[in-house]
Amino acid sequence: MMRVIFDLVHPDRGEVTWNGAPVDAEARLGFGYMPEERGLYPKMKVGDQLVHFARLSGLSRAEATEAVHHWLGVLGLGDRVDARLEELSHGNQQRAQLAAALAPNPTLLVLDEPFAGLDPIGVDSLSDTLRDLASAGVTIVFSSHQLDLVEDVCEDVAIIVEGRVVLAGRLADIKAASTSRRLSITVDGAPWVPDLPGVEIIENQSDAHCVVPDDAPVAEILASAQRQGTVTSFAFEPPHLTDLFREAVRP
Amino acid sequence: MNPWMQVWLLAKREFTERGRSKPFLVTMALLAVVILAVGPITNALSGGEPDATTVGLVGDQPGGIKDELVLQGMLLGIEIEVETIAETDDFSQMLEDDDVDAVLVDGEELVFYDNDSTRVTAIVQRSLDVVNTRAVLDDLGLSDDEIASVEEPSTVTVTTIEESGTEDEARKAAAFFGAIILYIAIIMFGQFVAMGTVEEKQNRVVEVVLSRVSSWQVLVGKVAGIGLLGLVQLTIIAGAAYISAQLADLADIDVSGIGLPIIASVLFWFVLGYTFYAFLYAAVGSTVSRQEDLQGALMLPIALILPGYLLAIAAVENADAVVPRVASLLPMWAPFVMPVRIASGSAQAWEVAVAVIGSAAGALVLVWIGSRVYRGALLRTGTKVKLKDAWKAAAE
Repeated sequence: MMRVIFDLVHPDRGEVTWNGAPVDAEARLGFGYMPEERGLYPKMKVGDQLVHFARLSGLSRAEATEAVHHWLGVLGLGDRVDARLEELSHGNQQRAQLAAALAPNPTLLVLDEPFAGLDPIGVDSLSDTLRDLASAGVTIVFSSHQLDLVEDVCEDVAIIVEGRVVLAGRLADIKAASTSRRLSITVDGAPWVPDLPGVEIIENQSDAHCVVPDDAPVAEILASAQRQGTVTSFAFEPPHLTDLFREAVRP
Repeated sequence: MNPWMQVWLLAKREFTERGRSKPFLVTMALLAVVILAVGPITNALSGGEPDATTVGLVGDQPGGIKDELVLQGMLLGIEIEVETIAETDDFSQMLEDDDVDAVLVDGEELVFYDNDSTRVTAIVQRSLDVVNTRAVLDDLGLSDDEIASVEEPSTVTVTTIEESGTEDEARKAAAFFGAIILYIAIIMFGQFVAMGTVEEKQNRVVEVVLSRVSSWQVLVGKVAGIGLLGLVQLTIIAGAAYISAQLADLADIDVSGIGLPIIASVLFWFVLGYTFYAFLYAAVGSTVSRQEDLQGALMLPIALILPGYLLAIAAVENADAVVPRVASLLPMWAPFVMPVRIASGSAQAWEVAVAVIGSAAGALVLVWIGSRVYRGALLRTGTKVKLKDAWKAAAE
């Protein structure tokens, strides 16, 4: 899907539009793209190649230089402008890659699995950067398999299974529209094991989480839990994105 | 944004990044130094201004032999110095030490160290003849004027029907080296194109590039940037060769062949030949994803180039034979064979025109074929892509 936006793959059918108009080469230059397969020139200086890419996107030399320095600064690579890419650590190469996508100051930023391979601190800083960009008016499309993260960062989500969108919309709406509820139960002593049909444990650490339909027999579940020990907490939550994903993907 | 502006940016990156790389610069500098040095070294080896030949005299010598040796040497264009050696000195040691080049003993034996020189022998022989004849004539009572008239050498004028063949030889030599340089340059810069293509695939940077520009722009930019670099390098090498030739010229070696026309011709045919093959190199380069797999893919362009080179070498000796003539008209071989035929003066104007137009048209066809394969294969990684599959994929 992302490759289609950048004309790297031709769609079997359909077209890509942006603000109502079909996307052409000129429009694409206003987009930033970070492919899943990361890649930059290993032997080229970081600053030089980012300026090169920004200029390919239509910026003048002065604009490109300024943008590159700005984004490398924001991403904490301000002092590595003259380093060759191969001299950078893996995490920093990843940041340089993101800077390459950001340098044209895109209106649409497309990131394929941007969180893959990042440590928790990297994840936090990338999430912050993306939030800042979004609040500055940049539209960001990214793919990820870390759904907690997606839930944390995104406003809109789409779940794509084998090339088809099975669920799409504003995260809050989707959650509200779902007929499932997440039920969090804490039972003193032994972990609670449900003995009711249709109730399935999905997480069982300090407290058990199960996803239940909204017409589930709450009283019976509570009774079942109480039979196993003292229930210290029993709460309904909206479903997590993970739950919606499981539901959507399950045939 | 103007697509050609992007092509220019891509070409500029190829040119500067490759041109700045240390291995390239070092090779380049070494090559230029070696070529520059060839001239002066040839000059030095051939003796440059040759030293005077020293002839030592030992024992009894006919009168006037000293002056006669110098005079006879002058007539043959060799500077002779004469040194009288005392009987007590070991003249063989002097020969060994190169203090003298030859020693005339008692006016009848000529001794060299190891290599005897026919010219020195002839001079000594002639000098002895003259002084001995003069002594006889003197004994017969002839006056000095009469003796001088006997010695008066007959003058012979020397002319040749054909222009001297040395210029021809020099042109052949220049054509020969021109063919070698073209062959090396086209293969080298063609491989740069193939390697650059694989590099971008291997580093996955190609997707970042292609999200901004189309494949034809990447291809044209790469070929143009590397080609420009090749042109610069060839110009430097040709310049070095020209200077070197001028330095060697001091040593009386005919270097008229290494003139500006042949240099211009090599540069011109490089542009045509490189364009033709660079797109082929790019196409085969795009079918593999790793440098290790590249060697096999390069067999195809080499298989096309090699016969052209061999035919060009054959044409150096026999530019008018049927095979080089035909080869010089074919687009794929003309860039190698035709410059040799032009240098040897055997190419007709119409043949040159056919070769130039044919090569240019052939290059255009390869631009088309090459771009299509390139487009079809560029984003396919993993195993080697078959040329046929890449061709088909590009149609989708």
